[in-house]
Amino acid sequence: MSEPAFLGITEASALIRARKLSPVELTTALLARIDRLDRSFNAFIRPLPERALKVARQAEAEIAAGCWRGAFHGIPYALKDIIDVEGLPTTAHSKLLADNLATADAAVTARLEAAGGVLLGKLSTHEFAIGGPSFDLPWPPARNPWNPGHFPGGSSSGSGVGLAAGLFPAALGTDTGGSIRNPASQCGIIGMKPTYGRVSRRGVFPLAFSLDHVGPMTRGVRDNALMLQVIAGHDPLDPASADEPVPDYGASLSEGVRGLRIGVIRHFYTTDVAGDAEMTAAIEAAADLFGRLGAEIREIRLPPLQDFAACGQVIMAAEAYAVHERWLKERPGDYGARGRERLLAGAGLSAADYLQAVRWRLTLRHAAANAFRGVDVALTASSLDPACRIDDDAALAATYSRQARIAFNVTGQPALVIPAGFARSGLPLSLQLVGHPFAEAMLYRVAEAYETATGWTERHPAGLA
Amino acid sequence: MTELRDLARALGLDRLSNEHLAQLARALETMERHVARLPRDLPPAQEMALIFRARAADA
Repeated sequence: MSEPAFLGITEASALIRARKLSPVELTTALLARIDRLDRSFNAFIRPLPERALKVARQAEAEIAAGCWRGAFHGIPYALKDIIDVEGLPTTAHSKLLADNLATADAAVTARLEAAGGVLLGKLSTHEFAIGGPSFDLPWPPARNPWNPGHFPGGSSSGSGVGLAAGLFPAALGTDTGGSIRNPASQCGIIGMKPTYGRVSRRGVFPLAFSLDHVGPMTRGVRDNALMLQVIAGHDPLDPASADEPVPDYGASLSEGVRGLRIGVIRHFYTTDVAGDAEMTAAIEAAADLFGRLGAEIREIRLPPLQDFAACGQVIMAAEAYAVHERWLKERPGDYGARGRERLLAGAGLSAADYLQAVRWRLTLRHAAANAFRGVDVALTASSLDPACRIDDDAALAATYSRQARIAFNVTGQPALVIPAGFARSGLPLSLQLVGHPFAEAMLYRVAEAYETATGWTERHPAGLA
Repeated sequence: MTELRDLARALGLDRLSNEHLAQLARALETMERHVARLPRDLPPAQEMALIFRARAADA
């Protein structure tokens, strides 16, 4: 067969079910591609070829025997390396956890395995899912497939990179201040941060308990909905897990946007922070397109982006410091420079600082709920700039915080990033869709309409397609 | 640097090198900007949320 590099979950699943494609054939082809290409992109910390082939053979035998488990059966996927897989190290891309063997599967791993997924390996991240691209860690940072000299976003960098490079059709990321949506923006793929509590965090190394989310990353909208279907649901062993029914995320995918009310949060990327001109133009073009597709477009206002950033950063710094305090005191030299600096930010916070932020969070959440009252979904920026060079410390420092993502970690609302075209440099542009709590299906419906109308997700990096 | 080292010691961070202390200084400065934005006049009865749960009823 020809190389199935950019076969999506939906397409591969149909072929596998019809026995026109073998899970072993698909897995073998992707492992060969990883072996050939990943030295340029560093998406993987640990590929797992033997394990993957064993699981793929089992899937093939089950399907041949008529025991098809569902749409994820035989589908290769990969995990950000802060997510536990029993018997394998969870390193968090850090020297501190290089030998940290997981004793059980994370809840999301268990769900993907039960659905028949084929784990290809563990993926690069920023150290402990914070910091930035670092060259002083045991593994190199992932690089952007659209231009390997550029930053791929993070912290779920390996997830975004591997998808854009055609190394796998599905991955999980985590998102505390935007870490699913940032690599989705910079790598030109789909990243969903579901509602807080929608997906279990059990077995995922924490960054900040009350802001942490796990979510699917894919190349297409339909694939993303399919993967969320597998991992969503109540987990009584995660104290923040929500006991809310899980709808059929594919049911309304093709219903279009006619008659929907889409609120544009324009002040996030114009007056709060001035976005890059090409990025801003792409978002405005998307608003125009939604209008032409029959949606009612109106502008809505939330509190300033800086308020959400301040609230979210104080909470993140305090909660992360609580996790890392002992290591920062006993083994500070074992962190990379970027991770250490970000984590030390919590050292000087008082209990009152943290609690004021947690109290303020409710005010911000109520303000967002009021702003969303008259709309079905909101449109705004994700990243305010295309990716900068990975070795340009000044550009990284200047652009890293220029984002409109952390607002929805603070409110807990679902938020999805989708490609919105390309800059003159050839690097991806993006937009963010934000929904009411637990209304992920609505985000998928709007994203699917945009994807169908624009075709941006059909493009792949030159030389890799 | 002596003042910063004293601060670090007071925080229990007495194994930081000079490079680490410079990072601590930058980190604290960045966080100060966020802390300065926190409201200090919230109503006394306004509650906090230790574990935040969004509810479908908010939709």
